[in-house]
Amino acid sequence: MIADEASLARLAALSQRGDRQAYTALLQASRGWLNRYFRRRVMPWQLDDLVQETLLSVHRKLASYQPDRPFIPWLAAIARYRFVDHLRQAYRRAEDDLEDHDLAAHSDEPEITARISLERLFEALPDAQQRAIELVKIEGLSIAEASQSTGQSESLIKVNIHRGLKRLTALIEKA
Amino acid sequence: MPHPNDDFIAGLVDDLKPARPLQQRRGMGWAVAALLAGALTMLWLRGPRPDLAGGHPDAMFLISAGLFLVLTLASSWAAVDMARPAVGSRREGWVWTALMAAVLPVSAIVVISGNLSQGEDSGVHWGGLECMLYGLGWSLLTAATLVVWLRRGAPSNPARAGLLAGVAAGSAGIFAVALQCPVNALAHIGVWHGMTVVLAGIAGRIALPRLLRW
Repeated sequence: MIADEASLARLAALSQRGDRQAYTALLQASRGWLNRYFRRRVMPWQLDDLVQETLLSVHRKLASYQPDRPFIPWLAAIARYRFVDHLRQAYRRAEDDLEDHDLAAHSDEPEITARISLERLFEALPDAQQRAIELVKIEGLSIAEASQSTGQSESLIKVNIHRGLKRLTALIEKA
Repeated sequence: MPHPNDDFIAGLVDDLKPARPLQQRRGMGWAVAALLAGALTMLWLRGPRPDLAGGHPDAMFLISAGLFLVLTLASSWAAVDMARPAVGSRREGWVWTALMAAVLPVSAIVVISGNLSQGEDSGVHWGGLECMLYGLGWSLLTAATLVVWLRRGAPSNPARAGLLAGVAAGSAGIFAVALQCPVNALAHIGVWHGMTVVLAGIAGRIALPRLLRW
């Protein structure tokens, strides 16, 4: 069952007062909403972890919900924050892996995960921006090497990276 | 059918404690209290500027200090509100207040350029550095207050929250300094007082996000 906005707001207000039954219903409804929200954004095996992390944030930050405001925009803001954080962590792990080629127990999974999540967002970028970010920020080429590889000037590579990252950030913020 | 996350949810429910919602006016009360504490401490330590003590304050002081006061209130309001996330919230009002306050440094630059083109003294002297340093020092009170408030909430954009806290703190700090600074020259107020807000905003944008992540 998908609860309506007014019911969720009422459940959240009751939860803030310590009503466990209302809180159980709220978390179950939130879990359903979060599953739908993240399903389009992350790989299936990441879904449960991300939903749990977000529910934990809902639990820790319950006081930041305003009983006189709608509940879904609040939940969406928490979910978006956790999603951006998830991408940041995955991306950082991918960067660390690029710096640690000599690690014996090297796993490609975090790097691949980061790339798949990013590639979904990349679809909204022009080709030149995608390519510049891909080569410099993911594959670790220098600006000069990326310039040689793509035929774009070095300054154009920098501009495309800057504009592409800015656009990606905006896409995530709006998501 | 049981869901794999049911145990997890049951654990959260077991841990539930009543949570008092973060009220905007309570957060704003904290910010105003920090502003007043800073201003009163400054007056107690260094005394009011002579015209203020004499009950006949200069117009330039009233306008500039008033602008910094309004900027403090507007940016504090926006920063406090950032503790309560919601997709679709717009918190742009402070930008117009910041643009209004920016009239001071922009006018100062015009005046300084005019002075220099006429071969006159620029009107900006290193003594003003003291105002800026005091302003930055005093801004820490408001910055700390807003950081504590924001950490109790859930700022979904820590970079923006850091910038707002920095601007609020810088303008609160320089408002306190303005109460004792006897200089009425636009060049001094625009450059040194204005720079305090700019630097505090930059510092907030750079340093605070790591304290505000959750």
